[in-house]
Amino acid sequence: MTDENTSPQPEGALPEGFERQRMDVDIACVGFGPAMGGFLHTLSKGLMNEDGTPVVESKAMPGMPPQVICYERADDIGFGVSGVVTKGRGIRASFPDLDLMQIPLATEVAHEEVLYLLDPIGASRKPLALRLADKALKALGLTKDHAYALPYTPNFLRKEPGILLSMGQFNQWAGGQIMGQGVAQIWPGTPVAEPIMFDQVVAGVRLQDQGVDKRGNPEAGFMPGMDIRCQLTVVGDGPVGNVGRKLDEKLGLPLGNHAREWAVGMKMVVDLPEGCQLKEGTVLHTLGFPEPEIFGFLYVYPGNVASLGIFVPSWYDSPVRTGYRYLQHWMQHPAIWKHIKGGRMRSWGAKSLQESGRKGEPHLVGDGFARIGEGSGTTNVLTGSGFDEAWTSGVLLGVSVLELMKADKPFTRENLEQSYVRRRRDSWLEREAKAAEKARDGFQVGVVPGLIGMALTGLSEGKLFWPGASKKPHERIPSIESFFQGRITADEIAAIRRECTAKGLPLHGALMDRAGWPAINFDGQLLVSHQDALLMGGKVQAPPGYRDHVTFKNQNVCRTCDEKVCIEACSGQAIATNPEGGAPLFDREKCVHCGACIWNCSKPAPNGGESANVDFQAGAGGLHSAEN
Amino acid sequence: MKGLQIVVLGSIVPDPLQTLEPIAGPTGPALKNELMLPAVLDPWAGHALYEAASLAKKVEGKVYLVALGPKAKLQQVMMNVAQKVPFEIVVLDGPAGGFADATETAKALAGAVEKIPGLDKSKLLVFGGWQSASRGTGAVLQMVGEMLGITDQFQGVDELVLAEDGSFTVLERIEGGCYQKSACQGAPALLGWATGNLPEPPNNPQVGMQNMRLIMPALAKATPSPLKGEGLRYASVEVPSQRRDTRIVKDAPVDDIARELADWIRA
Amino acid sequence: MKVLFLAHSEADGSLGKAACEALTAAKGLGGELMVGLYGAEVQKAADQIAGCGAAKFYGVAGGEFATARYGSDASACEAMAKAAGADMIVMPSTSRASRVAAGVAQRLGAAVDTRLTGLEAADGKIVATRWFYRQRMLGKIERDARPWLVTVDSGCFAACEAAGSAAVEMLNVAPATRTTVTGVIAPAADAQTIRPDAKLLLVAGAGWGKTQPDGQKHLDDASSLILSLLAATQCSLGSSKSLVDQSGEGAALPFLTHMHQVGQTGSTPRHQKGLATCCHGEEPHVVGWRFIGERRAINLDAGCGWAQGKADVLYVADAFAVAKKLAELLK
Ligand SMILES: Cc1cc2nc3c(=O)[nH]c(=O)nc-3n(C[C@H](O)[C@H](O)[C@H](O)COP(=O)(O)OP(=O)(O)OC[C@H]3O[C@@H](n4cnc5c(N)ncnc54)[C@H](O)[C@@H]3O)c2cc1C
Ligand SMILES: Cc1cc2nc3c(=O)[nH]c(=O)nc-3n(C[C@H](O)[C@H](O)[C@H](O)COP(=O)(O)OP(=O)(O)OC[C@H]3O[C@@H](n4cnc5c(N)ncnc54)[C@H](O)[C@@H]3O)c2cc1C
Ligand code: SF4
Ligand code: SF4
Repeated sequence: MTDENTSPQPEGALPEGFERQRMDVDIACVGFGPAMGGFLHTLSKGLMNEDGTPVVESKAMPGMPPQVICYERADDIGFGVSGVVTKGRGIRASFPDLDLMQIPLATEVAHEEVLYLLDPIGASRKPLALRLADKALKALGLTKDHAYALPYTPNFLRKEPGILLSMGQFNQWAGGQIMGQGVAQIWPGTPVAEPIMFDQVVAGVRLQDQGVDKRGNPEAGFMPGMDIRCQLTVVGDGPVGNVGRKLDEKLGLPLGNHAREWAVGMKMVVDLPEGCQLKEGTVLHTLGFPEPEIFGFLYVYPGNVASLGIFVPSWYDSPVRTGYRYLQHWMQHPAIWKHIKGGRMRSWGAKSLQESGRKGEPHLVGDGFARIGEGSGTTNVLTGSGFDEAWTSGVLLGVSVLELMKADKPFTRENLEQSYVRRRRDSWLEREAKAAEKARDGFQVGVVPGLIGMALTGLSEGKLFWPGASKKPHERIPSIESFFQGRITADEIAAIRRECTAKGLPLHGALMDRAGWPAINFDGQLLVSHQDALLMGGKVQAPPGYRDHVTFKNQNVCRTCDEKVCIEACSGQAIATNPEGGAPLFDREKCVHCGACIWNCSKPAPNGGESANVDFQAGAGGLHSAEN
Repeated sequence: MKGLQIVVLGSIVPDPLQTLEPIAGPTGPALKNELMLPAVLDPWAGHALYEAASLAKKVEGKVYLVALGPKAKLQQVMMNVAQKVPFEIVVLDGPAGGFADATETAKALAGAVEKIPGLDKSKLLVFGGWQSASRGTGAVLQMVGEMLGITDQFQGVDELVLAEDGSFTVLERIEGGCYQKSACQGAPALLGWATGNLPEPPNNPQVGMQNMRLIMPALAKATPSPLKGEGLRYASVEVPSQRRDTRIVKDAPVDDIARELADWIRA
Repeated sequence: MKVLFLAHSEADGSLGKAACEALTAAKGLGGELMVGLYGAEVQKAADQIAGCGAAKFYGVAGGEFATARYGSDASACEAMAKAAGADMIVMPSTSRASRVAAGVAQRLGAAVDTRLTGLEAADGKIVATRWFYRQRMLGKIERDARPWLVTVDSGCFAACEAAGSAAVEMLNVAPATRTTVTGVIAPAADAQTIRPDAKLLLVAGAGWGKTQPDGQKHLDDASSLILSLLAATQCSLGSSKSLVDQSGEGAALPFLTHMHQVGQTGSTPRHQKGLATCCHGEEPHVVGWRFIGERRAINLDAGCGWAQGKADVLYVADAFAVAKKLAELLK
């Protein structure tokens, strides 16, 4: 199948005296999220006989049980970011006796509500139709605390009966179960650099180099990233994983598919104030504020704790879309603030979501590899759920891999198609993803068509939608001047730009102030500076010895770029204005690996294709909170 | 000095940036959400482990890590630590928190060291962090040393240089940024490490795989070691507020600021 | 109740400040006080505290006890403690005493708690105060078991002064050890920038090594300014992690080592005053300031951590300019 002697890259790049080590295993897995949890749990359960002997033997190490290794880039398997409210069909099928008491912060969904938020400030960019609607709602006396509670939760948004989870705590729990099963090893703190490919065949993965400086040059303790060779590479690296994206670059997406819609989810876990009226298991969905494109959520965990946050999507065509400032305005909306005021931030985090869903589905399998989870297009963009979908895709692959191993069939594209892909096509996952496929197309046209389109698709179970052709993310981003046209003059923008650049600051603060958003009054508990949120909530850390994982492909393009969306939108303030001009500066120690920079750049990549001018690789470190 | 046996005593502590809050537990104070907090290998003990591994590599020695901590958390932390250097682990399933009594911890650890199969005290170096990041007493190692009959002990060690004949010199931190230098004839000895001189070793998947073969079984047969918590009573534990009323001096001429500061410093 | 104060003399034969403070803590317990001293010689130290009210002075002295060495120090302490038969034993938390205290307790079958910041006797109970989790939580503890050996941190009690002449009963101790202390490596005298007894702590942060508003780095200026402040004030120098991490390789300030680092993963020094310069005042750094009485900071950024209740005064200013002027004024 592969020529073992050829290397995908010239070894000459390594300094003298260093050799790239190689290790052979049976199955190498990239990323530990819910998708991989589903896969490894299913595989582990099926790979051992009652007496503890393996069902099949390792091919990489004959005489041993199959060697299954999973590499996770974050420093712990509990450092993921998500909601999570889920119907939990897949999880419950995997754990029929699931006892939520075993998973910290988990509980049953008890009450759901959808709130349409009016704009109490007057700074929001609501289109006329929405403004009129707001007026009408008010006039009819239907609003309370500047919010209108939908009389019922549409079916497509309903998660009841369902589960509320903390992603971090769930992953820790699931990882513990899997390790306890004794088949798979999950290694956090190990970013995978790239797939090892020979033509279209994936032969394993290469890990990131360690002991290097910012630029990747060897330093003390240099260890070239090891090559992990295997028969099957399972790619579950989520929406922004770079192994998945490298595969997409190499193999392209199936005809007609593209993954162009994104959102950044930014959230906090909050100790609610004493006497808070919110009951455990409550789920609030919000829309309409701070900008009509921005959706929000608030879930109540046991112990008077809430998980809350917003999604800032790629079709919110602002070049200064900073999630953090919007999150603070959203939290202070009267309908939310009345519940959380006086609370305390325990945790904070951000992560991108792949919002193309089924339409962004890549080649699910190929010779030597299979893809699961959000990076494989599992996320349901209509219902806003990805967790159980990701888990379920992992389960389907697990069953399929067991089937192939037991039949002693190699992991070729054909075999994987006939097992895994077939199972996926036959599953509820596919059915529901198809129905949701076009739900958000309307947002390509505008926010009102978007909202109507979503409702149409939801209520008609996918038969109706509001059409809209997609653009590459960078093609959507307007100039700052055109975005603020009629609100802030070009001269004023130029002055703000000059002033902020000299101070090394992003523009969004000044522009939002100017656009009428009130300043945030920090209380040191719930409303804190972005930097403090990184430290107090995200506990962001970066181990030394890794290269910068965010770089700028063509520095000249950056130099002349007026939007610098990458700086404005960076969730961790890790990309900063270069006071000396030129490409922005990246500070690895502040990066939360949300991947928003991938799609928050207004210029195309120099070599064309789908991507923009930011290069986002896998790095170690980031969030150190296990509660998100 | 071939065949050195280096026993590193070390356990886990909450990941350093986590918010810590005390609560009253059934057996005394505990940390709020202790089991939810991500944990790391106690930093100074970590340095001890890396120094041990580096030494063992030079002298064909063997490294043991004896850890007293909650098994599930230890397993999690080992998934990171085990990739760094080769060692064999001995697990005592019990509390690792800062409120446990140092003497009880020492007894449990010394007992576990004594039970290591093939332990030869004439070749034994006991390593550990000179203080834990949880209790911070610096007491446990000394007591373990005494229980094992080791009276050549060093604390705040930043350097150990081993000679061919097994003798060694040590640099220990003392006041004022100084080091005390000592020479010791050789094992058995006990060293409480400060940061040492080694960078944190890279994560090596092969080392991880090799370690895991022993770590998972060791975790499976961990000896339950509940500490009795006798004798030590807590009247209170609190997080003191450090907040001050900050006066912010803005747009003041440099000269004024300097003068105000000079007066303050002289006062 | 019998209380034994146990401490070592310094190289010059005197009793150090930390020890005199621990003596105050011991006296505060009430009961019958005894003193045990060890070192190359102990008479001078004993005379220094002769009037402390101790009923008895024990001593172990000689060349073998001149330096901090576990084997010899532990034997000396053990012998004196056994002779005294005390219920409470109080030692200072110097590096020398700290390295044997728990071992000695083990030999005596005593309970042990170290690094106390408070020790009080009230209503027949003894309550000790100490920090947990790297100075993040303060706990009050009690024990019924006796003997109970404790060490107390410096800076928490006033030093006892009670000179006179003391009659010391010398004990003979033959330590078993295979260790020889061969010397002390001190940083060059002018490079001795960690000064635990100084009134002021000067903290240098990463800003000193950063590009300044003129687009340049000014490392040489930074070095000379910091050194001139040190010379002018005889203060102790501390640093932030970020700056220390950059030191070496001539990247930042040559006189900084990781020993200077203040904070969560560094030291927690005790000084009456502290001045932070070019340091952002992030929480992991500021936890190391727990024992700094008055705190002031100079930072260009009015929104830095110091502004948020972490300093008494924040000067929003260029530290280069202020330091220059300040050094002139203090000369
Ligand atoms: C704020 C927010 C709220 C959400 N709320 C909900 C909700 O309420 N309900 C719901 O169902 N879904 C929700 N989702 C979506 C859900 O979290 C995702 O769909 C789900 O986590 C996808 O799982 P996954 O396993 O595919 O990927 P991920 O969870 O993204 O896991 C991928 C893992 O791979 C790792 N990785 C990436 N690259 C590499 C590499 N090169 N080497 C090694 N490791 C790598 C990553 O660190 C990560 O841990 C939310 C998402 C966000 C961001
Ligand atoms: C696990 C962990 C443990 C840690 N432990 C420690 C620890 O023990 N000690 C520690 O210090 N840190 C520690 N940190 C790091 C800590 O979080 C901060 O990153 C660090 O303290 C920042 O150092 P700094 O303030 O010097 O640098 P920066 O954050 O870079 O701040 C530089 C400051 O200098 C100011 N400045 C620049 N030029 C001037 C000028 N001309 N005049 C005045 N001001 C100027 C800037 O405004 C800025 O505020 C730890 C972090 C982690 C994750
Ligand atoms: S990365 Fe993109 S958005 Fe950022 S400066 Fe460069 S071209 Fe502009
Ligand atoms: S630099 Fe890091 S924190 Fe900033 S957007 Fe990119 S991934 Fe997110």
